[in-house]
Amino acid sequence: MLETAADNWVWSNAADIAAAVSAGRTSAVSVVEATLLRIRARDPLLNSFTAVTAERALACAHAVDEARAAGEPLGSLAGVPFAAKNLFDIQGLPTLAGSKINREAPPATRDAALIERLEAAGAILVGALNMGEYAYDFTGENVHDGAAHNPHDLRRMSGGSSSGSGAAVAGGLVPLSLGSDTNGSIRVPASLCGIFGLKPTYGRLSRARSFPFVASLDHVGPLARSARDLALAYDAMQGADTDDPVCADRAVEPVSPLLDRGAENQRVAVAGGYFKCRNAETVEALDRVAAALGANRDIELPQAERARAAAFVITATESAALHLDRLRARAHDYDPAVRDRLIAGAMTPAALTVKAQKFRRWYRNEVLKLFREVDAILAPATPCAAPLIGQQMMAVGDVEMPVRANLGLYTQPLSSIGLPIVVVPVPLEPLPIGVQIIAAPWREDVALRLAHMLETKGIVAAPRPSL
Amino acid sequence: MKRRAKPKQNAVRTKKRGGERARSRTHRAPINKPPSDFLDSLIAASAQALDLTLDPAWHDGVKFNLGLILRFGALVDVFPLVDEAEPGPIFHA
Repeated sequence: MLETAADNWVWSNAADIAAAVSAGRTSAVSVVEATLLRIRARDPLLNSFTAVTAERALACAHAVDEARAAGEPLGSLAGVPFAAKNLFDIQGLPTLAGSKINREAPPATRDAALIERLEAAGAILVGALNMGEYAYDFTGENVHDGAAHNPHDLRRMSGGSSSGSGAAVAGGLVPLSLGSDTNGSIRVPASLCGIFGLKPTYGRLSRARSFPFVASLDHVGPLARSARDLALAYDAMQGADTDDPVCADRAVEPVSPLLDRGAENQRVAVAGGYFKCRNAETVEALDRVAAALGANRDIELPQAERARAAAFVITATESAALHLDRLRARAHDYDPAVRDRLIAGAMTPAALTVKAQKFRRWYRNEVLKLFREVDAILAPATPCAAPLIGQQMMAVGDVEMPVRANLGLYTQPLSSIGLPIVVVPVPLEPLPIGVQIIAAPWREDVALRLAHMLETKGIVAAPRPSL
Repeated sequence: MKRRAKPKQNAVRTKKRGGERARSRTHRAPINKPPSDFLDSLIAASAQALDLTLDPAWHDGVKFNLGLILRFGALVDVFPLVDEAEPGPIFHA
């Protein structure tokens, strides 16, 4: 009986859990105990966790329950279990960043900024999540920790690099997770695992005390099973932070109170040209979302293919610079696929990187002009639903492409200019797939409102897997 | 007078869904695949310059990736930008 009730709470959304804990209908301790039970039972199938912080989680849960008993106000995420991609610092643990090498790093002395902010809102960290090595990955495969498995078909990829963040949420282990997105690493797993993901505006959320990948392109953000949960987490994590030099000095702009405004007066178009994908599931998902939002025209992002190329070059060279010392000393300890790319990046002429950065600014200015005409743009999140683990090639229209480099085909040209994007899951059979809702800088509210409206209409939803 | 290449002025276009898509001339710029022996030389010289020791077993993987990056780099390289174009290594969107 206890396990059945526990399983029900574990599949509940963050908003429902927080409401129940705040109202005293359940305790934070019982929610966390249920979460830990489910992780123990189900994660051997998913391989989404690399560490479970049970003792810490139970201590935090007791503190939440004691605060309620004392009549103290509880945060918006009271008692909500969450987990973080293992590139976020967790006090007392080495920050793996998906690597073998970082296992020898000293334990972190302080939590990452976003973990601190979620816990300040009452959320409870239950562990660290699997990821692609040093975040240079779209597949969710990891030679050191093994692949995270897709909860909808365990033979398939979760997507990466926030692989555990996608699998743990989609598999019902936690309602909320943290990921990072440099070229698509929140959006790809959200799409393949059938959940919601938010990559905020570049500089909106603090990256402090997270392991970097590509400073010019790194973002951090939440993954969840509803748009409201994304908004709750996002609101709790906003705010300036001098510990991250990129984090913008902007006032907190809460989105949760705006969600019910829906799509009224929102002008929505579909990304054309480069973003046109002929794969059946991608077309079906995009058409459903476009129809529901009244998006009846195309809009072309100028030079999107070149923007992807610029992001590719910047990623290769900046990440190579980050890892150069380790490549000299420990190259044998890398995932070979990551190592070869990093070495190649180190050998790329610097002038190409500077030209890519110059192009990036030009492209950004051109794309921002589009937002005079529209409030949001729709695009596929991935060219296909989840490939099989180990699959090397995939078909995109008539073209066969390597999976590893191209799952981010449609995400890479967008994050390179820092636009806020919500991925919404379209529950197709047999596998879900995501659609990107792209908004103007600092307009996360637009993308989240549209996502919430689509969810309310039943157009998008995180399907529950039969684990 | 120094001549400067200008970015295309008509890059922003919208159209009804399903309409014909105009192509930017720069989309058709040829992207040369770096010659194989050139990549071998570049890898050897770069490894020396960077003090990187390469296991011979890694050579093909590095070569494949370097060729890929250079092809993407060429796509960026042919795009005309004014001399005053600012790089955006860190920007607030």
